[in-house]
Amino acid sequence: MLASLFDASVWTALIAAAVAALASILFLRTRHFLYDSLALSATETGLVLIAGGIVAGAISGHAGAGLWWTWDARVTTALVGFLLYAPYLMLRRAIEEPTRRAASAAVVSIFAIFDLPVIALAVNWWLARRAAPVSVDAGWMILPLALLGAGFTWIRLRQEQRRRARDAERRTAQEI
Amino acid sequence: MKYLRQVATIAVKDVRAELRTKEAINASLAFALMILLLFSYTFNPAQEMMREVSGGLLWIVFAFAGTLTLNRSFARELPNDCLDALIAAPIPGSALFLGKCFASFVLVLAVELVSLPVFGIFYNVHWTAQLPALFGVLLLGTWALTVIGTIFSALTVNIKLREVMLPMLTYPILMPALMAAMRLTTLLVTGQPIADDDMAWLKMLIGFDVIFTAVSLALVETVLVG
Repeated sequence: MLASLFDASVWTALIAAAVAALASILFLRTRHFLYDSLALSATETGLVLIAGGIVAGAISGHAGAGLWWTWDARVTTALVGFLLYAPYLMLRRAIEEPTRRAASAAVVSIFAIFDLPVIALAVNWWLARRAAPVSVDAGWMILPLALLGAGFTWIRLRQEQRRRARDAERRTAQEI
Repeated sequence: MKYLRQVATIAVKDVRAELRTKEAINASLAFALMILLLFSYTFNPAQEMMREVSGGLLWIVFAFAGTLTLNRSFARELPNDCLDALIAAPIPGSALFLGKCFASFVLVLAVELVSLPVFGIFYNVHWTAQLPALFGVLLLGTWALTVIGTIFSALTVNIKLREVMLPMLTYPILMPALMAAMRLTTLLVTGQPIADDDMAWLKMLIGFDVIFTAVSLALVETVLVG
């Protein structure tokens, strides 16, 4: 149950990462800020899902082997994925200017999506020497989580668009 | 040909500037030696177990010390608005990027080549056992380090927190390359041959270099201009 919850969260987070990368590429091509907002909200959704997934994975490890962290290849890959995407949000906070922020964030997102398969491969090879990876099917669990992810992304996208509109109005007001 | 000359001009300029000021390379070298020494307190350097972790130790040192050099790569151009002048110069952004990449590559490699013998002496490791192969892994790993480091150095150059942001961004991305380099270095330093299983790591390291050099070149204009 918990193992398949982990699996479903990771798969949904992967979809979110793919959406974020696609939105980032579209932003760089069109310079339309809707895509930037989409990339941001998809990345946030993915990070929340993967954080939940890591917790579920750790608990299922504890239930199985009695250890919180068993260096299971898939949970470890999820953790590296989390560390890969967390700086995306930190970078956005560090840049004030909207276009510069969106372009820089898009670059990070594109780098990250190319890195994900290599990381998964490397962590698997590295940890395969200690324990064989266990395969669990996500099963039906992926459906509710994907819906949850899509809903969360939608809400964050709306929020982000409103915040952007408000910022634009504020700038206009300041100019006057 | 013209393109290569532009790349060489930028690279030579950067190396020359660094050799005259020595602001990054001195710090980087001192830092590398410092970590090598500090590690000797965590475990007994005379133990056999030391050899098992030697590759990991070396690449942690290289990655930390390399970041100090890479941080300066673009930050060096900030005073007197040199960066704006470089971007406005009649050369492609990719030539500017590759030039800076090669310069950092040479500097990081120099620090590594000084730390290697020190490492061998401190930890009693016969690192010369398979020197040509070790040198090849060093080149591949260092290129991964510099290509990712340089592009993110350009990305973070205008941020207030750039000294913090650069390692935060580069280390997770570099993780597969560092793992491959660590594994291969451990094998080579302990005198084991690279078996069939471990050839996959070599392929991954080469693949990492190729993929991320291509991605960096594709995105460099966006990074520089915004």
